[in-house]
This record gives sequence, C-alpha cells and structure tokens, in this order.
Amino acid sequence: MTTLKLNNINKYYGEGSSRVHVLKNVNFTAKKGELNLVLGPSGSGKSTFLTIAGGLQTPSTGDVELEGKAVKSMSNKQRDAMRLNNIGFILQAYNLIPYLTVKEQFQLVNKVKKNNNLDESTFNKLLEKLGISDLINKYPGELSGGQNQRVAIARALYTQPDIVLADEPTAALDSERVAEVGKIFQTLAREQDTAVIVVTHDLRLIEFADNIYQIMDGQMTLNNEMKTA
Amino acid sequence: MFLSLKEIKKEKFRYGLIIGMIVLICYLIFILTSLAMGLAQENTDAIESWNAKSVVLDKDSNISLTQSLISKNEVKNTKLTSKEAYIGQASVVAKDAGKTKESAQFIGLDTNQFIAKKLKLTSGHNIKNDKQIVVDEKFQNDGYKLGSKIKFNSNDTKYTIVGFVKNAKLNVAPVVYGSLTTWKDLKNVKGDFVASAIVSKSSNYKAKNSQLKTYSTTTFINKLPGYSAQNSTFTFMIAFLMVISLIVIAVFLYILTIQKIQNYAVLRAQGIPAKTLVSATISQSVTLVISGLIIGIALTAVTAMALPAAVPMSFNVPILSAVSIGLVFTGLLGSLIPIKIILKVDPVSVIGG
Ligand SMILES: Nc1ncnc2c1ncn2[C@@H]1O[C@H](COP(=O)(O)OP(=O)(O)O)[C@@H](O)[C@H]1O
Ligand SMILES: [Mg+2]
Repeated sequence: MTTLKLNNINKYYGEGSSRVHVLKNVNFTAKKGELNLVLGPSGSGKSTFLTIAGGLQTPSTGDVELEGKAVKSMSNKQRDAMRLNNIGFILQAYNLIPYLTVKEQFQLVNKVKKNNNLDESTFNKLLEKLGISDLINKYPGELSGGQNQRVAIARALYTQPDIVLADEPTAALDSERVAEVGKIFQTLAREQDTAVIVVTHDLRLIEFADNIYQIMDGQMTLNNEMKTA
Repeated sequence: MFLSLKEIKKEKFRYGLIIGMIVLICYLIFILTSLAMGLAQENTDAIESWNAKSVVLDKDSNISLTQSLISKNEVKNTKLTSKEAYIGQASVVAKDAGKTKESAQFIGLDTNQFIAKKLKLTSGHNIKNDKQIVVDEKFQNDGYKLGSKIKFNSNDTKYTIVGFVKNAKLNVAPVVYGSLTTWKDLKNVKGDFVASAIVSKSSNYKAKNSQLKTYSTTTFINKLPGYSAQNSTFTFMIAFLMVISLIVIAVFLYILTIQKIQNYAVLRAQGIPAKTLVSATISQSVTLVISGLIIGIALTAVTAMALPAAVPMSFNVPILSAVSIGLVFTGLLGSLIPIKIILKVDPVSVIGG
C-alpha cells in the first residue's frame, strides 16, 4: 500500500538571480513494509526532499500525498496531528530538547499522544538494541553525538509511526552501530509494516535497503542495481 | 507545565537570575508604594480616626484649618449635636527639658463632644482639665512618658501628658490633644472665638451662618498643606516605576521565549501541537512572576518589621494586590508578544542541510 507519494516536486530557494533549483521534478513513492534509501552527496537536496516529504515545508510546485491525502489540503492542525501520529522524524540535527532527560523526552510524547505508543517491554528492548538503556536519566548535553542520534531514533519509533523519515541517522555512528540501526530499520519495515525512508550518504546502509534511490543535484533516480554491486 | 518546570529545573542559574530580578522589582515597587502610602496616611490619620464626614470652616479660610477661626457670634444660632465637635488647631513646638523638641499639631477639644469621648488611648486616661494633654505615640517613642511635663513654644505653662493615642497624626506631625481653653492661649485669640472648625459625622451638617461653610472631609484632606502635591508626585513616581518595571519584565520574558525558538522548532517538527508550546511559555512566565512576587512580598514584610517606627509605612492590601496582579498580567503580556513567532516557527529553519 502506498503511504507516501511525491508527484513532480520542484523546490526553489531564494528569488531572482540568487534563486537555486534544489529539487528537480522529483517523483517518489514509498510503500509500507519497505526500507527506502536515498543516497546522495552533501548539498544534493536530501534534507529538502525529506522535509517536503514529511510536510515540514511546501514544495514550489508538485504535490505530496500522505496516506492518500494531499498535504496541501490539510490544515495546520491536521499536519501537526499527522506528524505526531503517523510520522517518525529523525532530523539531521537538534532532535532532542536540551533541558529534558532522555526519559523525559518520552514522557513529553506521552503527554501529547496518549495512545498507541510502544509498550514498556518493547520500548525497553528497543533501548537495549540501541545501547542507550543506561542513558535514560542523562541530558542530551551529556551524551555523545552518536548517543544523541540513537536516542533520536528511539524517540521517532516510540510513537509507532506508519512512516519513518530519517535524515543521516548514522552520520555519527561506527560500523557496528550502523549495522544495528540498519537492522532496526529493516525489522521495522518488515515486521511492523512501516514505510521507512532514510536519506544518507552512508553506503553501509545499502545492504538493509529494499529500494535505493540516488539524488544528484536535485534529480532523483531509482537505482536498485547498487544492492547487488 | 511539564516543559516549563523541567526547563527551570535544568537552567536553575538562568531562571534564578530572572526570578531575582523580578523579586527586586517587586520589592522596589512595594516598598516605595508603602512608603508613599505611609506618608500620605500621616497627613490624615487623626482626621480619619474621628470618622468625620464633613468639616465646617470659615468660608474665607481657603479650606485651611490653620486659617480658619469661628467666632461666638457666628455660631450663636448653630446647634451642635452629639455628632459634631469643635476643634481648635494650633501649630506648636513641644518641649521638655532634656528631650527632643517635637513639632506638633495642637488640637483643642471640648471634653463633652464626640472626638474627646472617642479617643482611642493606648495608655493613660482622657483629659480632665486644661493642664492635661493626650499625645500621639510618637512622643512615647521619643522618650516622653505618662506624667511628663511639656511646655509649648515660648510659653511657661506646663502641661502634663496623661494619655497616649495611636495614629494621631495631622499633616505628618504628631497631634497633641488638649482643651479649647489651652488652644485659645496657644493661638493667642480672645475669648470671642470658639474654635477653628466644627467637625461633623454627618455629611450634610450645615452651620446657620453665611460666613461658615461645610466641606466634605475629602475636600478638606485634599486641601491639607502639601497633601495633594505630595500625593500626585508619588502617584506619578510610582506609575512611572510600574510602567518601566513592567516593560523590563516583559522584555526579559520576551527574550526568554525567543531563546526557546530552536527547541520549539524541533517539537513542532515532531508534531507537538502549538497549543502545548504556547501554554508552556505562558505557564513559565506566570510561574516566574508569581515566584518573584511571593519572595518580593516576603522581603517587603521583613523590611517593614526591621524599619524603625519613625519611618512611616503603610501596607494597603488592595493597592498592593492591584500592583501584584498588574505584574502577573505584564508577565503574561511579555510572554504573549512572541506567541506569533511560536505559532509561525519554521521547523526547517533549524534543521540545517
Ligand atoms: N533555506 C534555504 N535557503 C537557501 N538555500 C538552501 C536552503 N536550504 C538548503 N539550501 C540549499 O539547497 C541545497 C540542498 O540542501 P539540502 O537539502 O540541505 O542538501 P543535503 O541535505 O543533501 O545536504 C544546498 O545547496 C543548500 O545550500
Ligand atoms: Mg542534509
């Protein structure tokens, strides 16, 4: 089932002579149960693509459909609700609130989304797998970059979203952790029937992906041959 | 509440400073207001203790007790009931060898009329003859005792203090209650004058003489020398202080909110409703202002206890409450100004490429 669809997306930043064309006619579909990897170098438009896909910003032209509903036609409130209930965002930077401990980051979610979050034992297993069980009472400022990133992953998965959008989630992780995170995303797609979209320049994630896209200067192409290469 | 309290808990120093600033501002406003009120009250304490509604003065006295004299002739057709009393005012310097001189307001009374009968003595007894006086507690604080003998101005006659009264102040000077006979001596007026004024507990009392005019107590008080000028000076001073303090607090809370924008952007990206963020901001501002207020009030109370009795301070609860509500209200306002920014915060702006 198609959960996320981008039709003919163009995105420009700036105006006049300083206008840059960041996304060029991007078409993209993500289905439940699949892990999609979008590979591209820095500055190629990955973050722009992901934030448009998640309804955080609007494309200059083209439409985004989430769960069959045009994002354009949603009210701000509906978009908030969609992000809270259906999407798990892992942003490239600043995912955690500096004055909340790891535990409190999740308590905050409980306060605004009361149902259908991970049950305690599944949650604890996830923390275990991510290797952050011991960090539960620490503040983000006391964690390393990689630990922060893993907490952010747990935070995004906590709400049991239908779609997970991750921006360079492995940037600060060593190979062992990359494999863990890759497996977590893969399991998430296959067992929880989640649509997972990961944008990255980390080739170590290729082996976990179902579909591989490449983005170059704002142009996106499906390139599943990379899996076997 | 969750977000706001957690943030205060984590950033204790920063929020401590802000609460400290609010405490100082509240303290400043409370102390100055209470001092101004205290001074204002020392102008009118005695008058208010009489519970009078109106004052009859010579119509050419410019509503000044000092300038007013009522002659026997003017009151020959006027009847005083149990609600009226004569008062004879004279400004005096009271002294007793070895003690501080006191500038005081002498008020001559008729012992059969209501003011003399209703004096609330804290010690001693009422005046029984022309050589006895009842004085304000200020004399007691300055070392005078029951039985102390006092001379007025350059006269040689000695008067004995037989009682003390609380809050007997007129025009910021302590009051000396004595007889109308003594008043005539002090004022140096001949026997055909009876008093300076008639004070009545009824608001529509009229003397039957065209030379006498009835004024309401309010009018009379506002015409006390320096009273209105003093009060408007204080009112303006405190109003400016309030407005400026409120702006300072509002600006601080505004800056505080602006600093949260990045965190709010992340939360917005995660779909945390704007409502949650707005209520976190508001509840935090209110928490800060109320904490500051409570500490400020406590500090004011401690100061009031520590200050010597000679410093007039009056805690007018309704006015101080209004000030407090004003502070909470500005706190709210200060945090509400950037609400538009919170509502419009763009998650993408902080995400980075
Ligand atoms: N808000 C913006 N205003 C102007 N240019 C931007 C903005 N955000 C991104 N860009 C530009 O768009 C291009 C793509 O950025 P981004 O999507 O962040 O790439 P990536 O995540 O692949 O590194 C870059 O050249 C970047 O400088
Ligand atoms: Mg990026």
